[in-house]
Amino acid sequence: MKTMDCKDVLANLSCYLDGEGSAELRTALEEHISRCRRCRVVFDTTGRMLKIVTDAEPFEVPLSVSARLYARLEKVLSES
Amino acid sequence: MGLLSGRKGLRLSHRTRLEFRAFAESFGPQYQSHVLTMRKDERSNQGIPDEDDLLLVERVLAGDRRAFESLVRRHERRVFRVTLAVLGNIEDAEEAMQDTFVKAFRHLNQFRREARFTTWLTRIAVNEAVQKRSARKTFVPLADVDNSEEQFTPKRRESWRSNPEQLYGKQEIHRFVEEAIQSLPEIYREAFVLRDVEELSAEEAAEVLGISVPALKSRLLRARLMMRETLAARLEEPPTLKTKIVHKAVDVGTAVAMRLMRAAGR
Repeated sequence: MKTMDCKDVLANLSCYLDGEGSAELRTALEEHISRCRRCRVVFDTTGRMLKIVTDAEPFEVPLSVSARLYARLEKVLSES
Repeated sequence: MGLLSGRKGLRLSHRTRLEFRAFAESFGPQYQSHVLTMRKDERSNQGIPDEDDLLLVERVLAGDRRAFESLVRRHERRVFRVTLAVLGNIEDAEEAMQDTFVKAFRHLNQFRREARFTTWLTRIAVNEAVQKRSARKTFVPLADVDNSEEQFTPKRRESWRSNPEQLYGKQEIHRFVEEAIQSLPEIYREAFVLRDVEELSAEEAAEVLGISVPALKSRLLRARLMMRETLAARLEEPPTLKTKIVHKAVDVGTAVAMRLMRAAGR
């Protein structure tokens, strides 16, 4: 595989983070990242962002919203 | 037994319970009894493993309407996140969530089992939310102006100086994350929530949104890069004195609570 430039590397960022792509592609990406600090930073911080999002478990259902949902379903189920 | 009783994972402080009771009482006497018995049912529900979606679907179709309650419990949060991702505000997301579950109940016999129940339900949620968005013709949130799919170039190339979890409290990071997701333009927010919050596969997310897998991946890449920029900007701001004090107080409170719990356990 030919040497990748920063644009190619960025285009394959998701693929790499999701564990997809051939071994050859991943090796080429890693080779670029090891010598390009700018791409390394983007890969590293995007991976960290994803971990922060996963750990944060965003958007709880507000209690009042949940209560109204169950109240409506109670009605729908009892009518059916 | 009412739908609300036995809600898994509901942990209410005494004050919240009183507020919630007052709210629930507005629904009438039938509803009050469910609220009053909730604590007992919560305990009895602990430790019971989740049942499989397909099994629950079979039970509902066989006439056990209460099995639908379990399905709702399992998917309530997912449906809320999805409708919120499409619509961008809680009021509309709530309405779309209710409509999603009502529709799912009424059309459950059309679920063909070729896809996962999650995908089927998420597709209904996206459709309901998109219909609602289309009906809302005049309202265009500022964050949704930029829906172009041009290549996005990262601007921030600096490494994160420190571990954000050490600088900010959990609740603050939670808020940063929610604000960052909400600030994404619509098409990126949908892709990001389905893929990185709900963890649908690229194929499932593309199917639910009615777009090709390459289009989904292109939106997801841009969404991730935008999320990274937004979060980096927030996390690189030095915490204010107030933040530091609150964070420290929470840490101290947690440590004291843990010591008390350990002492009580002896």
